[in-house]
Amino acid sequence: MTKLLQTLFDGVAVGSLYALIALGYTMVYGILQFSNFAHSDIFMTGAWIAYVVSAAAGWAVIGGDTPPLYSGLVALLASMAFCGLLGFGIERLAYRPLRKAPRLNVLITAIGISLFLENIGQRKELFGTQPQKMPQLLPDTTLFTVADVNFRIVDLTVIAVALVLMGVLQWLVFRTRLGRAMRAVSYNIPVASLMGINVDRVISITFVIGSTLAAAAGFLYVMKYPGALKQPADSTWILLGLKCFVAAVIGGIGNVRGAMLGGVLIGLMEMFGAAYLSPHMRDIYVFSLLIIVLLVRPAGLLGKATVEKV
Amino acid sequence: MLSARASALRPGLAWVLPRAVGPLVAGVVVAFLLQLVVVPILGPFYEKLMMDIGINCLLAVSLNLVNGFTGQFSIGHAGFMAVGGYVAGAVTYYGSFVLWGSAAVHGGFLGGGDLLFLLGCVVGGLFAAGAGYLVGLPSLRLRGDYLAIVTLGFGEILRVLLQQTGDVIFVPAQIEQASAFTLATSLGGALGFSGIPFYTTVFWVYVMLGLLLVVAYRLKESSEGRAFLSIRENEIAAEAMGIDTTKYKVRAFVLAAFFAGIAGALFAHETGTTLNPRELGFQKSFDIVIMVVLGGMGSISGALLAAGLLTILPELLREFSDWRLVVYAVTLIVMMRVRPQGLFGIREIWELGRPRRGAQEKRP
Amino acid sequence: MTQPNAAILDVQAISISFGGLKAVTDFSLSLPPGALQGLIGPNGAGKTTVFNLLTGVYTPQTGEILLAGERLNGQKPNRIAASGLARTFQNIRLFGDLTVLDNVRVACHVRAETGFAAAILRTRAHYGEEAAIRERAHRLLEIFGLSHRATDLARNLPYGDQRRLEIARALATGPKVLLLDEPAAGMNPQEKMALADLIAFVRREFGLTILLIEHDMGLVMRICERITVIDHGVTIARGTPAEIQADPAVIEAYLGAPDPPDASAEGP
Ligand SMILES: Nc1ncnc2c1ncn2[C@@H]1O[C@H](COP(=O)(O)OP(=O)(O)O)[C@@H](O)[C@H]1O
Ligand SMILES: [Mg+2]
Repeated sequence: MTKLLQTLFDGVAVGSLYALIALGYTMVYGILQFSNFAHSDIFMTGAWIAYVVSAAAGWAVIGGDTPPLYSGLVALLASMAFCGLLGFGIERLAYRPLRKAPRLNVLITAIGISLFLENIGQRKELFGTQPQKMPQLLPDTTLFTVADVNFRIVDLTVIAVALVLMGVLQWLVFRTRLGRAMRAVSYNIPVASLMGINVDRVISITFVIGSTLAAAAGFLYVMKYPGALKQPADSTWILLGLKCFVAAVIGGIGNVRGAMLGGVLIGLMEMFGAAYLSPHMRDIYVFSLLIIVLLVRPAGLLGKATVEKV
Repeated sequence: MLSARASALRPGLAWVLPRAVGPLVAGVVVAFLLQLVVVPILGPFYEKLMMDIGINCLLAVSLNLVNGFTGQFSIGHAGFMAVGGYVAGAVTYYGSFVLWGSAAVHGGFLGGGDLLFLLGCVVGGLFAAGAGYLVGLPSLRLRGDYLAIVTLGFGEILRVLLQQTGDVIFVPAQIEQASAFTLATSLGGALGFSGIPFYTTVFWVYVMLGLLLVVAYRLKESSEGRAFLSIRENEIAAEAMGIDTTKYKVRAFVLAAFFAGIAGALFAHETGTTLNPRELGFQKSFDIVIMVVLGGMGSISGALLAAGLLTILPELLREFSDWRLVVYAVTLIVMMRVRPQGLFGIREIWELGRPRRGAQEKRP
Repeated sequence: MTQPNAAILDVQAISISFGGLKAVTDFSLSLPPGALQGLIGPNGAGKTTVFNLLTGVYTPQTGEILLAGERLNGQKPNRIAASGLARTFQNIRLFGDLTVLDNVRVACHVRAETGFAAAILRTRAHYGEEAAIRERAHRLLEIFGLSHRATDLARNLPYGDQRRLEIARALATGPKVLLLDEPAAGMNPQEKMALADLIAFVRREFGLTILLIEHDMGLVMRICERITVIDHGVTIARGTPAEIQADPAVIEAYLGAPDPPDASAEGP
């Protein structure tokens, strides 16, 4: 029973992280119908910026003082700001000129950007080729224990930050003018621009939001797993990105709520599989879930099947 | 009516035979000359490079059958390569122990070892084709990116499974006692399948490539192949014109997977490579997609050239190894902007000079 | 009404709705062999949807479709084409990056008998069949005045040629019944005249039965023997051109619609 509850809690914590990343994939897909495979590198950059900021502030000295309480917030905001700009720039320079190009070309461009970010990140002037140890910016203690289930501060923070950000996004997309414009653009770009919506701006903002969320997820990820911050070109990052893309697809890509649902489902699937089956086959559970969901509901759980009009 | 005319127009055997067999013979002769004349001149470094190029050509041209000809979007091609490589590797490695008591290269050109190796290639190709069938099935229901992610998922599942396999057994006595199942699950895990004898030569690589080129080119120039192309062009119209899109999509997957499996088998038996689940992951798949897109979707010669260029480019850039991948990435991005249709678009190299009349005219 | 078993295409009360929208309700039609009939109605009446139902793009939710006695509903589009029902598309769907010749050759494939192995091995049967396909495709291109365009990419054709290529391609499947969805849309009066002659010619030449959707009333009235009119998916009239022109329900339907029956320039 304890194991079940603990796994449930861990699954939700990991799942909220996944959901944050999945949102970036799904928002871009919803608007431009393409899979932004460079998203995982934004996430990676977010994690590394958090490290660089901590190192610059002297919080990363091994055996040094415990970092101040506000350090986490500073690192989080710094990486969100940086990645927001990065997302803006990528859309502007690389994707916008390809708006009318075949999707495969956009995809290759995304792969190109992904390679670029990874390898430029590996430069010694930037992050370097070595993994780093991320300082523990959040206290690594159990806040409380209920029925032998440990609620660690880190996990609670992950869930809380994810919930707040998703709440804000939900409000933004469904309650504001900007959100209405985003939904209009995702429905039909030519019609949206006829209605006087500045499509370019909406797309830019979408990229900025998606990248900001990814940065937050990157920060939370290194808080949750501070041990080794893998080097930029390590395949861990892409694999994580893939997993979150899968989450978005399972939920119904293009659907904001679907991405949240998919993220949490994947997190639970992974944790339960690891706890009750074998910890080595996490990726298999995730991709098997994907294939099953797609075969049963080709448009994902919350996605709507579209019939091509002939 | 068509069949009556078809039998009336059927040419004689003397006309057909050279055309049917000629290209295959030519392929073998070229491969033979490469091995016998070119390799000794260029030396081992270029020998290895030539094999790498040939294997990448096999991968790019075969993926082109799915992505370029049929317009389906597969990004898990390395998975089929892995199936072929591991199956073929297991056949020759454990087969050699059973037959000759060790995994060393056995016999010379077309000797016992070579035959076992060929058997491995075919069996590996067939297993990969079976996997292609399984992965092709979802393509009946899924389109575009959804299919892409399933093919990718397949590759990843395979990678994890391979990483879970046990250590390679290298003690003859243990191999003799082991069950077939044990052997099939002792593939080296995350460390890779080491000890596979090096049977791959320039000759075999280019014989296989010649075979694939003949198949791909004949397909493109036949009614069957035009059925593939019509699916890429407009699936709904293709169906309305009587093309069984389901059948041809699966067929494209199976055929492409078969040759990817053979490429994997060649890779597994190549000097200086270890068959390793990590190396055959999605990054390898992406590399192959890039070759296809760069060459031009559906252009066989384009895929060849792109595969060649992209195999050589990293070698050329070795001098600036620090910046190598950055340059590669920038090249990709720029290429997609300045020449989005790939090097040759959908045409073959020799069709480039041919003028196309009637440029886009607007309707009234 | 002709006897049901005398009809080559017999459609009995097919319907479909998309969500709440009843796009086609209880549509029935009986085409005797060799007939040339028209299907008209205001924009959005459901004419194209009828074609989509007949050709298996959508599955009818009710009713039956019989082609020469063979039940077609529920079959896949390629099976239906193989059975002898071919169509053109209102919003042109050519294989744009294939040549004009190849567009027609693809459609011949449904009648091909040699398979994959013959194509790869290049057997005698393969060469014979390729030659037969080429011959047939060239013949069709000639009929449609497209021979000089054979090696051009389909998407580079002028609009009128694209419409004609659609018909040539449909004919290449060797149909018993041909469905034409606004084949004259976007053509000028001379082109329309020529098209009408062409339709009459291929009908005789290939012994076809034709169902035609067309917005140009002049064309429809001139070449169709009988006409069915639908509006909002419901059949409101059927009869000879003269009867249709005098039918108050038809006039009402068109006057209530944004585009009158003689509006000739109708884009895809
Ligand atoms: N796949 C579909 N999904 C939803 N509505 C459709 C679909 N296909 C057709 N419709 C609707 O059915 C109605 C009839 O369309 P259509 O058959 O194209 O008319 P037309 O008579 O102009 O050819 C229109 O209102 C159209 O929007
Ligand atoms: Mg219509």
